[in-house]
Amino acid sequence: MRYLIPAAVTLFTALAAPVAQAGPKTEAILDQLVLPGMRNLAERTADLDATAQADCAADSTALRAAYNQAFDAWIGVSHLRFGPAETDTRGFALAFWPDSRGMILKTVKAMIAQEDSVVDTPDGFATVSVAGRGFYAMEYLLYDTDLTTHETADYRCRLVRAQAADIARTAAAMEADWRESYADVMRNPGPDSRYKTDEEVLQEFFKAVVTDLEVDADLRLGRPMGKIDAPRPTRAEAWRSGRSLRHVVLSLTALRQLSDLLDEGDAEVAGRIDKDFDYAFSRADKLTGDPIFAGVATPQGRIRVETLQDAIRTIRTDVNQYMGPMLGVAAGFNSLDGD
Amino acid sequence: MTSRRGFLAGLMASGLAPAVTWAEVGAPDYLSAAQAPDGSYCLLGVGADGSIRFRQPIPGRGHAAAAHPHRAEAVGFARRPGTFAFVIDCAAGTTRAELEAPEGRHFYGHGAFSREGELLFTVENDYDAARGVIGVWDVASNYTRVGEFDSNGVGPHELRLMPDGKTLVVANGGIETHPDSGRTKLNIPFMKPNLTYLRLDGSLLEAVELEPALHKNSIRHIDVRADGLVGFAMQWQGGKGDQPAILGVHRRGEAPRLQLFGTDPEVAAQMDGYGGSVAFSGDGRYLAVSSPRGARVQVFDAETGALAQILPMEDVCGLGARPDGFLASSGTGRMIMFEADGPHDLGRSDVRWDNHLVPLARV
Repeated sequence: MRYLIPAAVTLFTALAAPVAQAGPKTEAILDQLVLPGMRNLAERTADLDATAQADCAADSTALRAAYNQAFDAWIGVSHLRFGPAETDTRGFALAFWPDSRGMILKTVKAMIAQEDSVVDTPDGFATVSVAGRGFYAMEYLLYDTDLTTHETADYRCRLVRAQAADIARTAAAMEADWRESYADVMRNPGPDSRYKTDEEVLQEFFKAVVTDLEVDADLRLGRPMGKIDAPRPTRAEAWRSGRSLRHVVLSLTALRQLSDLLDEGDAEVAGRIDKDFDYAFSRADKLTGDPIFAGVATPQGRIRVETLQDAIRTIRTDVNQYMGPMLGVAAGFNSLDGD
Repeated sequence: MTSRRGFLAGLMASGLAPAVTWAEVGAPDYLSAAQAPDGSYCLLGVGADGSIRFRQPIPGRGHAAAAHPHRAEAVGFARRPGTFAFVIDCAAGTTRAELEAPEGRHFYGHGAFSREGELLFTVENDYDAARGVIGVWDVASNYTRVGEFDSNGVGPHELRLMPDGKTLVVANGGIETHPDSGRTKLNIPFMKPNLTYLRLDGSLLEAVELEPALHKNSIRHIDVRADGLVGFAMQWQGGKGDQPAILGVHRRGEAPRLQLFGTDPEVAAQMDGYGGSVAFSGDGRYLAVSSPRGARVQVFDAETGALAQILPMEDVCGLGARPDGFLASSGTGRMIMFEADGPHDLGRSDVRWDNHLVPLARV
């Protein structure tokens, strides 16, 4: 066949988008949420590192407190899985979950069994599989009764210190990346930039909301729910440290803040989504007696978890249906939900 | 006991009397799944002019279909992680058989018939083991499952029969999913897609991988040219900003390196890291890839890899070969044919065309 339109000309036309400026929503999201959230993560993980170097005992109150605060800081920004979190696989290095093939325990156990000296330098440890790094691997070292009572206390201590230092280093790199470069990339969209328009920047944040709502419903709640005749309570996220429900609440809190800035200016949409979040929080409140979703094994407990899951799915549906079009997200049959 | 290989060979030799042929059902040229205006789902026969020749309701969102080489019979697959597939008698307007994935498995949405249509091969997820499986179904015994083998990878998304009739080519997308976790991708840091060639008994002939830096480029869809050149489309899982090319070709027996098309960063960026469908033109000169996210179709010279044409089209995904060009369908209901004399808008129907246009062999 002959193609009548020369490729170069078509290309040029396609790329001739108007130069854009950062909008007020983008500025607000970066200044009020993203940059402070990243700074908080960098500070809390630096504390964790300092605490672990001072006291690495698994049952240390100070270490566990620092760990929980740092983990909170991460969950507060963990929906920002693009850009700086993607560089050098930083997001996975901090948080490899779900661990559907049990790789964390295998990796950690192998390191302990061999007393692998890779833990002795930060550069060395940065080459370890993401399954052996980050908050979820460290949770095993601090809370898994099997591992914490193991005899090789000295090596476990070296490993905990290496993990804490690596978490702090990864978080610091991510924070610096946001502060020194990526925030400006988002503030300055343009034809030669990663984001062509401010609308595209907002769409990135929109996608972060939708994706993390799916993580909450499908993974954080869906995995322990398993099948009705085969509940899987030990698949709950961070159940060893008792953080499963806490993560859902922290995530919803962060997503609500981001949604509030994204849907500003349309009272009807904002009101609807606010109401959805209110309802989900009220369902989460009903679960305070079951912080690690152990109740999924009982009919009553399962209903409570399922009700929260439904509430989160309602937020997702409304965010897609009402906030999406507001931000110019094409709700395409194929583009939105491809395969 | 008969060996599996012997059993399959026996089936292949048995032959079948053709029932109603494609020509008798309004001679559709393509099959496509779609969503009707009332929200229900259907499988449709489509003419080369974009007209709808038949419409069969299906119980959930479909994905792709496999058309029997001779009979007016098609197998429509559920979108993953669906567990159903329907054999539709396109002449009588009835469901001839239902395929249900075995316990612990779900379909990925694609399948392929053997050359004479005695066997159907389906791509499946053995999800507790995170293992790709090819299911084998005997057509003559009303689609009884008669065997299965390993797909040689995780997440086999599409498979095709090679022109020799003896080889399957499988796109192992590399992504682990489990129905308990919805459609969430569970192994992105460790994913390793490949393109695998298998004999019909499942024995491995050849497997090729992308270079390590591209291990997050999920090989998802394939088309095969009459001479055995395989075109494949990928979906990048590494995030915005570093989006690599999403189209490549491979020829069996050549160096195990995948040639990538559209590697120019600007050309690649247009597609937003997402290839939806891939097709060779009927004359084999061109290879096209669609991107619903990039809202366009890119056409390349299949030999040189040079970009030949870009067709902007909102929510485009389905692609089917025309003798010297392509037919493209979209989620907005539009069909556009683009051939030697340029694009022809075939108008808009009331359905939302789903991901794929499946060409029917002319018999």
